[in-house]
Amino acid sequence: MTPDPDLIHASPETAITEGEYVRGTSLWRDAWRRLLKNKLAVFGLVVVTLITLSSLIGPTVIKRATGYTPDYIPTSDTRLIRSFPPFTGPDGQFSWTHPMGTDNAGRDQLARVLQGGQISLFVGIISTLVSLLIGVSYGAIAGYVGGRVDNIMMRVVDVLYSLPYVIVVIVLLSMFRSQTARGQLILLFIALGSVSWLTMARIVRGQVLSLKNQEFVMAAKATGVSTPRIIFRHLVPNTLGPVIVYATLTVPQIMLTEAFLSFLGFGVQAPLASWGSLASDGIQNIAIFPWQLIFPGVTMALTLFSLNFLGDGLRDALDPQMRTT
Amino acid sequence: MLRFILRRLLVTIPTILVVITITWGLIKLAPGNFYSGEKRLPPAIEKAIRDKYGLDRPWYEQYGKMLWSIVRHGDFGTSLKYEGQSVNGIIRRSLPVSAAVGILAYLLALIVGITAGSIAALKQNSRWDYGSMTLAMLGISLPNFVLGPILVLIFSLSLYWLPPSRWGGFPSRNLILPVITLSAIYMAYIARLARAGMLEVLRSDYIRTARAKGLSEKDVVIKHALRGGLMPVISYTGPALAFLLTGTVVVERIFALPGLGNYFIQASLNRDEPLLIGIVAFIAITLLLMNLLVDIAYAYLDPRVRY
Amino acid sequence: MSKQKQIGMLLLLASFALVAISCSVASNKEPFFGKTVPPERNIFRYVTGDEPESLDPAISNGQPEARIYMALYDGLVEYHPKTMEPEPALAERWKPNNDSSEFKFYLRRNGRWSNGDPITANDFVYSFRRALTKETASRNAYLAYYIKYAQPFNEQKVFVRDPQTGQFLNAKDFDETTPAEPLAGSPLDSTANAEYSEPDVHLEGRPESEFHKQMHTPLRLTLPGDAKGRTKALDANPKLKAAVAGKEFVPIKAEDIGVEAIDDYTLRISLVQPGPFFVGLLAHQVFRIVPRKVVEKYGSAWTQPQHIVTCGPFKVKTWQPYDKLVVERDPMYWDAATVKLDEIHFYPMSDNPTIMNLYKVGEVDAVLNHTVPNAWLEVVRVKQDYMDGSEAAINYVLINTTQPPMNDVRVRKAFNYSIDKEAWAKWRKIVKPLTAFTPSGIFKDYPQPQGDQFNPEEGRRLLGEAGFPVIKKPDGSYSCPKFPVDQVEYIYNTQESNKAMAEWMQAQWKQNLGITVNLRNMEWRTFLNVRAKLEYKGFSRGAWGADYMDPFTFLSLFYTGGENGTGWVDPKYVAMLDEANRMLDPKKRYELLAKAEKFLIDAQPMIPIDTAATNWVKKPYVKGMYPNAGSLFPWKYVYIERDPAKWDYGVPDMTAD
Repeated sequence: MTPDPDLIHASPETAITEGEYVRGTSLWRDAWRRLLKNKLAVFGLVVVTLITLSSLIGPTVIKRATGYTPDYIPTSDTRLIRSFPPFTGPDGQFSWTHPMGTDNAGRDQLARVLQGGQISLFVGIISTLVSLLIGVSYGAIAGYVGGRVDNIMMRVVDVLYSLPYVIVVIVLLSMFRSQTARGQLILLFIALGSVSWLTMARIVRGQVLSLKNQEFVMAAKATGVSTPRIIFRHLVPNTLGPVIVYATLTVPQIMLTEAFLSFLGFGVQAPLASWGSLASDGIQNIAIFPWQLIFPGVTMALTLFSLNFLGDGLRDALDPQMRTT
Repeated sequence: MLRFILRRLLVTIPTILVVITITWGLIKLAPGNFYSGEKRLPPAIEKAIRDKYGLDRPWYEQYGKMLWSIVRHGDFGTSLKYEGQSVNGIIRRSLPVSAAVGILAYLLALIVGITAGSIAALKQNSRWDYGSMTLAMLGISLPNFVLGPILVLIFSLSLYWLPPSRWGGFPSRNLILPVITLSAIYMAYIARLARAGMLEVLRSDYIRTARAKGLSEKDVVIKHALRGGLMPVISYTGPALAFLLTGTVVVERIFALPGLGNYFIQASLNRDEPLLIGIVAFIAITLLLMNLLVDIAYAYLDPRVRY
Repeated sequence: MSKQKQIGMLLLLASFALVAISCSVASNKEPFFGKTVPPERNIFRYVTGDEPESLDPAISNGQPEARIYMALYDGLVEYHPKTMEPEPALAERWKPNNDSSEFKFYLRRNGRWSNGDPITANDFVYSFRRALTKETASRNAYLAYYIKYAQPFNEQKVFVRDPQTGQFLNAKDFDETTPAEPLAGSPLDSTANAEYSEPDVHLEGRPESEFHKQMHTPLRLTLPGDAKGRTKALDANPKLKAAVAGKEFVPIKAEDIGVEAIDDYTLRISLVQPGPFFVGLLAHQVFRIVPRKVVEKYGSAWTQPQHIVTCGPFKVKTWQPYDKLVVERDPMYWDAATVKLDEIHFYPMSDNPTIMNLYKVGEVDAVLNHTVPNAWLEVVRVKQDYMDGSEAAINYVLINTTQPPMNDVRVRKAFNYSIDKEAWAKWRKIVKPLTAFTPSGIFKDYPQPQGDQFNPEEGRRLLGEAGFPVIKKPDGSYSCPKFPVDQVEYIYNTQESNKAMAEWMQAQWKQNLGITVNLRNMEWRTFLNVRAKLEYKGFSRGAWGADYMDPFTFLSLFYTGGENGTGWVDPKYVAMLDEANRMLDPKKRYELLAKAEKFLIDAQPMIPIDTAATNWVKKPYVKGMYPNAGSLFPWKYVYIERDPAKWDYGVPDMTAD
């Protein structure tokens, strides 16, 4: 996994802009307005929405239109060549049946990419939520309480950071073995979420560290507000800007990790597929049937691309100081 | 400050021991073993193998022996899968491979990234700006296991210009494709960081002053703006280098390089206990040291952060 | 403003990349796959598969290692490059006794180690004993179990001796299932050669050795070496327990194994049973010799390049693990004149597309078997450098027979009946459909039995008979509502071809029986563990390649219970195999083996799927390398041909000798 630079430079600036955050709800309206002005971010938002929607309804539509489901293998067709290029029918002529071609077994690539989208997006979002939940509370507590507790909590993060996550995933998947593909998928969420909250925890801690000596926290403390309340009502909301930004960037990270696990063979179970598992299957055939890599790869890249733009836009919108355009 | 560094270094030692312990426990929990094959071995032979490596001894004895050898002699033992090869030897041999690819990739990323980022900042909102930033975003969004095979397809399989994989020594033509594949994402990050940093600096007072003094634009950029604008890039270098030095699994696998990352995956898949523990401990040490450097840098850069 | 430009530029870039890639798809017109420029020097570059576990031939049981060992070590015999029959190597010739239970090997006098030391019969005695020593932990030791007392020695068992008389207890007095004892049955004459068909000139008149006489005494009783195991064995057999009382236990020593150096250049091996196939087994890596002095001096580090001493056509030049192993021609080798290559570079690699890419650009000259990915066959199989030969290997599906519903043989048969293996073979392209458990067309004169053909009708009937009626739905598809789908699954280890097979099986069963079997893929070591411990429900992928050229290497997979991954074990089957192996007449033996095989496929603890075919590529200028049934190549015959007229265009002739 590549370290994300946002981890490094997100912390100092936000504190300076504290004044703007306290303006309350208008901050969000402002941010939304600024986001809409940012054409790239809007582009990202639109593309992500489109891809999500078509992933959700696409497979059903395709089944209605052509009769192909993502896992339908035409075994009655015993011909040797089943991998058809895009827009080519079994007879080699132009056809609308398979706009993205077919895979080795003759399954419709478009249906598979759309179904893969469901899984990849689902994995990305759920695992990000898991990492948000753990990461934010962990980081906030460590940062606010400070001292020895902080030290120990951060060393724990260090330890977890250094663990071989391949082995962690192997152990998780085998200890809680599930018989069904869906069950395996849930395990995958847990496995991915549990290795990806670490960076989030570090970011939140950094934020809280620079926020906790601010006047508004002092004031809350002086008026006798309880510690949990200070953490979750006063501090956490103030870190949300960078957290949301980082969360949008975590989704791609997790999708990449999932893809990499698929590449190693730990991903989703056949006949389900994710973009990652489709792409890693496609790599096997890149020299012969490039469309098997290109379509899942490009769809995935496009989604990540849009998510990154959206993340950038959100950061700019939530943090005017960082705005560069 | 010195006390802080010393304290952190002291904390590093138990942290590594905990990492080693958990890794050891994880391998013990993982199903399967290093000697199994398509046809199951007769029980007597399985037992002979387990006895040879002391795998049937009580867990505390195995754990104690492993830990003692590491603490006392810095010796991680010999690989289970690769009979007679010492773990320390494997790390010594594969580190230079990973480091060569990693450092070259980072250098390339620095050169291209800073140039592109600076140009983009200087010519903000121009075609250059959009072009390089779009490319940067593409670099971030294209997974390297997709980028690598595509580069191989074009430059080796179709054009026959470059070898598609394998380690060819240092320096060699074999390095070109893995280095490009690996550097793409760093290049992109650095370009974005450099652009943001430069924009920040170019608007600042001292650059205005420098310009007002009548310095040439070239001098302003090179002598003043670059120095300030590259701060984020410099603080990014720590963790990035830690990752790059210790091997990048995907690229080493795609290009079949005998680096640490490849051994790491193989050791995990083979349940090669001593080898995996050795590599994990080594990577953990590198990561922790780099994190410490980052924290020190933070403390210098931002006086509000107190330890 | 020009945000649109940015998006436009992105789309432009993307479409450019797409076009560039689509244009570079491999063209189908050239006769060979990729570049065909011979290397400048006589160097052969080969991808042999995974990183070798060790350069010690006693250790590893892998095929990648086997090919490396064939370059570095010699044995009594070597595989024939085409037929894989044993041909003379360090043994110039050999002689079996009347019932093939004892063999004499006459070694050549000019065999030398790479350090110049002569190779003698004692080197074989040492190497065999070492491979069988428990501390060596050889994965292959079981292949040497045919040698008398090899198995009990390897398992650290003990003999039982009467302290008064000094007599050992014999096995046949306590256990009826002890195989017949060929050696004990033929009492020794005063001359050593009486039981051999032709007399030995140079040994004539020599007195018989004590050791040889001992080999011809009845098979001794052996008991577990550890007290716990022994108590258990004795408790199970009261007669034995009574007989053993007051006797002493003598640990079996390496010197008790049936291997004897009659003189420096004559070796005798005594077996525990008749072994007509035994000489063919001797080319296996576990029977290749290691240098005693070096092994004893350096321990497990003896294989490091600075210490290693070898005896094959090549010796180690440099070794960079995970990168390459370079071996060079050894001038000390007895047949050095035949060796044509100066060096072989072995590249350890395991990712098939990566290997094929290297081959395509001409960075390697040949690749290991099963390297061409299924989808690539479209393009590669029609090329003239594609090696398509028959292979002594099968693919099959294991069934966990210990749990319902698969413990019902009718259900197992139903699943077998409903797989169209012909269609599978057509689609898989490089396999032949298989209904039995031995590969078709590999073992000459073996009367392979026929199993059940594709018959979904019969499958549905059987399933109904077992209590799971299959209903035909109005749209022509089937469903089997009563079948407990959650009690079956199909497990396989993550790999492209396994996945293809799993998905095919799933689709077949869905189509013909209306049952959707869940697929579960696992990482390799987890998979092996789950399968060995029968922690799966229903089906598991299986495959096996021959250890030696005899049907028994396949049939013996079900010889011992519990270890075959199906839970199926039947003493009747074991008895049938034993009976066959006691046959002296090879033809009769084959008939009995075939009978046992028929018994096995009728019990259906597995579903045979196909006989594999070799699936690799070599450059046309590589000569002397043939797609033999085991994909093992005697390297001394391989050479680089620079004259394109003499290249191999297509699979080289496998019939001419």
